[in-house]
Formats: sequence, C-alpha cells, structure tokens
Amino acid sequence: MYLELSHLKKQFDGKDVVCDLSLTMEKGKLLCILGSSGCGKTTTLNMIGGFLTPDSGKILLDGQDLTRLPPEQRPVSTVFQSYGLFPHMTLLENVIYGLKFRGFSKADARKKGREYLDMVGLADRAGAFIHEISGGQQQRVALARALIVEPKLCLLDEPFCNLDAALRVKMREELKKLQRDLDMTMVFVTHDQEEAMILSDSMAIMEQGHLLQNDTPERIYRNPANDFVKRFLNLDDLIWTQDGKLMKIISHQM
Amino acid sequence: MKSNLNRIEKGASGDALFRIFGNAADKLIIAVLLGSICLFVLYPIICIFWQSFVGETGLTLGAYTDVLKGYRTSLWNSLFTGVLTAFFCTVLSVAAALVISSSRGWVKLLLMGVILITMVSPPFVSSLAYIQLYGRRGWITYRLLNISWDPYNCWGVIWMQSISFVPLNALFLSGILTKIDAASIQAARDLGAGPKHILLDVVLPLMRPGILVTLLLTFVRSIADFGTPTIIGGRFNTLASDIYMQLVGYSNPAKAAAMNVILLVPTLLAFWAYRVMLQKSDKLTSGKGKQDTVNLKLLRCGIVGWIALILSMLFFVMMVLQYVCIFSLGFMKVTKGSYSFSLQYLQQLLKYDTATIWRSVIYALIVSFVGTFFSMLFAYYTERRNVPGRRFFDFLVMMPYMIPGTCFGIGYILAFNKEPMKLTGTALIVMACMLFKQLPTTTKLCSAALTQVPRTLEWSARDLGGGRMAVLRDVILPSMRPAFLSCFAHNFSSSMTTAGAIIFLINPGKKLLVFQLFDKVYLGEYPMASLLATLIIVIVLAVEGLVWLISWKEGKRRVS
Repeated sequence: MYLELSHLKKQFDGKDVVCDLSLTMEKGKLLCILGSSGCGKTTTLNMIGGFLTPDSGKILLDGQDLTRLPPEQRPVSTVFQSYGLFPHMTLLENVIYGLKFRGFSKADARKKGREYLDMVGLADRAGAFIHEISGGQQQRVALARALIVEPKLCLLDEPFCNLDAALRVKMREELKKLQRDLDMTMVFVTHDQEEAMILSDSMAIMEQGHLLQNDTPERIYRNPANDFVKRFLNLDDLIWTQDGKLMKIISHQM
Repeated sequence: MKSNLNRIEKGASGDALFRIFGNAADKLIIAVLLGSICLFVLYPIICIFWQSFVGETGLTLGAYTDVLKGYRTSLWNSLFTGVLTAFFCTVLSVAAALVISSSRGWVKLLLMGVILITMVSPPFVSSLAYIQLYGRRGWITYRLLNISWDPYNCWGVIWMQSISFVPLNALFLSGILTKIDAASIQAARDLGAGPKHILLDVVLPLMRPGILVTLLLTFVRSIADFGTPTIIGGRFNTLASDIYMQLVGYSNPAKAAAMNVILLVPTLLAFWAYRVMLQKSDKLTSGKGKQDTVNLKLLRCGIVGWIALILSMLFFVMMVLQYVCIFSLGFMKVTKGSYSFSLQYLQQLLKYDTATIWRSVIYALIVSFVGTFFSMLFAYYTERRNVPGRRFFDFLVMMPYMIPGTCFGIGYILAFNKEPMKLTGTALIVMACMLFKQLPTTTKLCSAALTQVPRTLEWSARDLGGGRMAVLRDVILPSMRPAFLSCFAHNFSSSMTTAGAIIFLINPGKKLLVFQLFDKVYLGEYPMASLLATLIIVIVLAVEGLVWLISWKEGKRRVS
C-alpha cells in the first residue's frame, strides 16, 4: 500500500480524539475522510502533515516512516482550510515559496511557478497580492502552491468550505481533473457528504475518533457498515443506478 | 529519507542549507533570549533583595529597620502623594478621554497633537514649566498676577504629577472608549436614553475597569517618580526622592536597596489588582465595535458633561501654556527684567554639547533596533512555541514594567559592579537597561500583532519544506511589520526621555541629553533646560516621522 496509517492514537487533555485508526490507500487515488465536526478528521490530517505527533501508531508513505519527521522533511504538502497564503507575498512568490528549499534557481522557480499558475488559470495575476484576489482564486493559489513541490501526497483540509455553492461545484471538478492529470495522491477532509461521494475514489467515514468504514463510494452505498453511516450519508435519498449514475431525491413536502 | 538526501544534494543552495542549520539556530536563539533575560532582569532583581538583607556582619534586617524608623515621613509622603495624584489624575484623564473620543475633525487633531508632544517629552518638562510659570518669579504668578508665594511644596508635586501622567492615561481610556460597541449606544438611544443617560448608564460603567486600572497605574507611577519631588518638592521628600539622594549624595546602596524593596510592596499589590481589572475591562469591551468617534455630545450630557469639558479644557490649556513656555524660553534672554529673542543658548548648546546630542541619538537608535527585534523574537517564542517555562519568562519580562525605574537601575549597579561582569560605566549597561526596561511594552505590542497572524501561515511555510528559521524569516518577521513602527517609536522616545532607570548608570564623562536637562533644571539654568527639552522633543518627532515615512513608502512600494 502507498499510504498506510496504522493504529494512530491522539489524545487532547486526556480525551481521545483519534482512537486506534488504521487505514490504507493506493497511489494516484483520492481519499476522502468524511465526518461531522469534532470527529477527529482534521486531527488525522494534521498527523499526516506533521503538525501533530500521534501518541502512538505509525504513518508510512511509499515505504518511508513519517511518524516522527517534522513537516518540512515530509514529502507531503497541505492546502489549509484558511489557505495559509502569505499576505506579504505576491501570487507568484507564494507559489514558488516551497521551491526555495529544493535547490531551484530563482529563474527556474519563477518559470515553474508561472506554469503552475497557468494550470490553475491565474497566470495573468502573478504579481497580485493575496488580498487583491477573490476567495476562489485564493483557493487555486493554495492548490498550486501545494502541488508545485511535487509532493508524494497532497492533503486538503475542507478546502471548499469558504466558497459559495456554485463555485464549490466548479472547483470540485477542477480539482478532480488536476488530480487525474498529475496522477496525484490526495487525502481530502470534508463534512460534505455530497462532495465526498462525487470526488473520492475511496471514502473513510469517521465518528468520534473511530473509523467506521473505508471503501469506494459505490460499495459503501451498497453495503453501509451500520445505521450511522446510512443516516449520515442520507443513503435513503440517493439512487445509484446500474449504469453508474448517482441521483439525489429531493422530496417536496410542505 | 532517500528523497530528502536527494533533494539536498541536487541543490546545495543557500535556502536548503539554511533549513538544515535552521534548527540549530532556533535553539541558539532561544538560549540567547532566555539567557539574556535571566542576566539582565532576574539577576539584578535578585541582587536588590540580596543586598537589602546583607549588612556588614552578614544577614540582617538592619537596613529595613533603619529605613522604617528614619524614613517614616517619606514613606507616608509617598503614599499620600500617590493616592491624591492617582485621584486627581484619573479625574482629569477621564475628562480628557471623553473629550478626545467624542470630538472630531481638527479639534481632535489638535488634542491628539498636544498628547503626542507630551508623550515624547522628557519627564522634567512639567516641573520646569511649573517653576517658570507659577514659581517665585513665575510669568503668571509674579509678572501677571503680581503675587509672591512659595511653590515648592507637596501640592505642587501632586499637581504636577497629576498633569504629567494624564496624556498616557487619556490615550489608554480613549482606546477603551473606541472599543465600546456602537450598537450598545444605539440600543440605549433606541430605548429612549438621552445623551446624559448614555454617558451615565452606558459609557462610564463600561469604562469603570479602565478607570480603576488608571488609578492603580498612576499610583504606581507617582510613588516611583523621583524627579518631580526632587525638583519642586522643596523640603517635601518622598521615598523615591530619598532613594535618589541616598545613592547620589551618600552612596549607600544597601539602604537604597531596602528602600526600594519597601517601595516595591505597594507597587506589586497595585499590579496584582491591575491584572484582575484589565481582564474585566477586556470582557466588557471585547473590541467588536471599532469606531473612531464615540457618538456622544458632551455639551448635552448635563452637569457631568460640563465638568468633563471644563476639566479637560483646563488641562489642555495648561499643556499648551507649558509648551509655549518651554519652546520660547530657550530662545530668550533676560536683560534688566525684560525678555528679548536670542540664539545665545542655542549657540552655547551646539558648541559644548554636540557629542552628547549624538550619543543620545545613537544610543536610542541602537536600543530601538535591537529592542524591537528582541521583542519580536521574544513575543514569537513565548506566544507560539512551547519554550520551557514560558509563563515564568513572560512574568520576568513584565517585571521591569512593574518595578520603579530607579529600583531597576540600582539592581544593575549591584549586579554589574564586580568582575567578571564589571559593566558599570560602559555604554552596554546603559543600553541594556533601557532595552529591558522598555521590553514589557514592546513585547505586548508584538504579541498583539502576532495574534493577527494565523497559525496556518507558519504551518504552510514548514509544510512546503522551510524549517523553523524559515518560519521566522519568511512569515513571522514580515507579518510584524506594523508592530515594528509602534515598537520603534516607543523604544526611541523612551530611550531619549527616560531618566529613572539609568540615572545611576551613566558615566559622568558620557552624559545623555536627559541628564543634561535634569542637571540644568536642578541647577536652576531654566533657559538652557528649556532648550534641551525642546531639542529632545524635536529629535524624537523628527526621527519617528522619518521612520514612519520610510515604512509608509515601503508599504506603498510593496502594494503597487
């Protein structure tokens, strides 16, 4: 397996936030960690990113043990919920920041930076500052900044939650396309069931620090592990047809 | 691990190397920060306590019994002055704050201008103007009103202290006023309250914790102030002025240390209460409603509004008189009882004292740059990093703010007067004393700026491969740009105007402007003293204006 979390545990003030979490995923896939707020999904992500150290358990990526490495030494990059863009740098400076530590010359870095800005459709705003662009554009910059360092694994922490509904749908599609084009492995944290069903190759559903089920969306749809999963995903309102279409029932009762 | 090695081999560029050495540098910075705080704050304070208990024959309480017996009047005077000053000053401050924050346009600009000048003035200016205006041969008392009286007494001290502590308090209180949620004032109006009731039922109650803080801080400042009683107290001595005399006149550090420890008791009590009050104040005014002008018409607030207006006008008129007096006196000469314009003193100053001017400016600049940088680093390490014992160090850094300046200075003398750390008489000890005396304020400013920097920014830098040093260099320091200006301004003006802490540390051959000023006032050379005061004010305003201009231009360049 490409990414392997085994028996991860994390406590805050004596309270179990993540209990004995084990899951695996393959290279080039997109895994969604899904759960309501406080279920431990962001904590899990922060342990993979290196911002929190697990109390016990192991994190393996491509055969390398990451558990005790500081974030700067992990071949992992993150798109933060609030983006974490540097307000005192231009878009281009933001995007190429990570290349500084990878031995790029200034010129090479700028060239590559422009490529990535182009990829997310912002090539013409390279010199702008963060506060001069919209939320959706900031989202794209954050994505480009995380991808440019060619991480082995890209983490996304509810990246679309600050966007409006229409933009969210659009960004979803763009993300999926980027992920396929670059053959990037991604772990995506969200509390939005719909987003997870549409985006993910596999879905990990968490509740109160425990992993309830980790499988493809379709298999979870056909065989929910328990009632909670069924209710949480609103499976009664979804129809997954034999030819692979997912439909949502919107009932109209006044 | 493989990919890591590859990366480093591929590009042994400065930044990659920087990351590797970063962690070591990080530890080194922590060690230097904490080490210097122990050396320049903790150690001197320990020395004061130690010295106060050590007599010629060993451990003893002799110094204390001496002081309590011999200086009972002074102790009483200190408390008496402190309480009355705190009261008068707070009343004036509240009035001034109300007027400042409810005025707008050019009136506000003018009032803030007066406050700004007082903030950058050296401490003896009020006393100097007092003597000149209301003294035996005062412009107002003698020349205008033709009365002859003795101005050197305790009421002069109380009055002058009250006046000179107002500006800082008024700024603090009007800061609280602007944080009052505008909606609560609107709600009161909506429910039928007139201006009078808005003032009495909403504004003043919300200010109450702030008012208590003002009372306490003024009390503390008053009992620590040695300059005013020394200059205009006449035969009225306070503990602070006695400490000054003990050291300068009799060079008795043991006694001075004991007196300081006694002075420290009410101070620490006041600060303990202050912390409790401040928390309450923050709860009342959570800072949600940020408004420049409080919507309140003082003229329509009934008797309380009138009193506030009259008091603050009294204050501002006195301030204007004071500065007119100071600014003009340096350029006048007296011949046969009449004044005429003269550059005589300026020529004299430029002839004999250019070295002192330069020395003062250079010391202040060094302290400002180093101090600002130091406080940024310290704020970052205590706020954002799990530095061992950070609460303790936070407390230590606040200590110089609480203990009286002279006390801190005596600590330095006691701590650094013997090998291997014989620093007395050097420039280093003077600058270190200034720096650490000002560190509490600048650290607070930096911490406040740091709360505006989201944690994810730090995480982003590390996530993308930067080490701890990269976080500091690329995220923390650039984000604290706005704090730089306020820290620098505070450091520079304090360094140019503080006297208490360093008065005993200055080498007589290497004086600073403030001490020239103190000497001249003490010797009665008022025109020269006025000129020196004017010079200090002009220098501080010029340098701070320059720094502001540079950072403003820099900011514009970065945005465009």
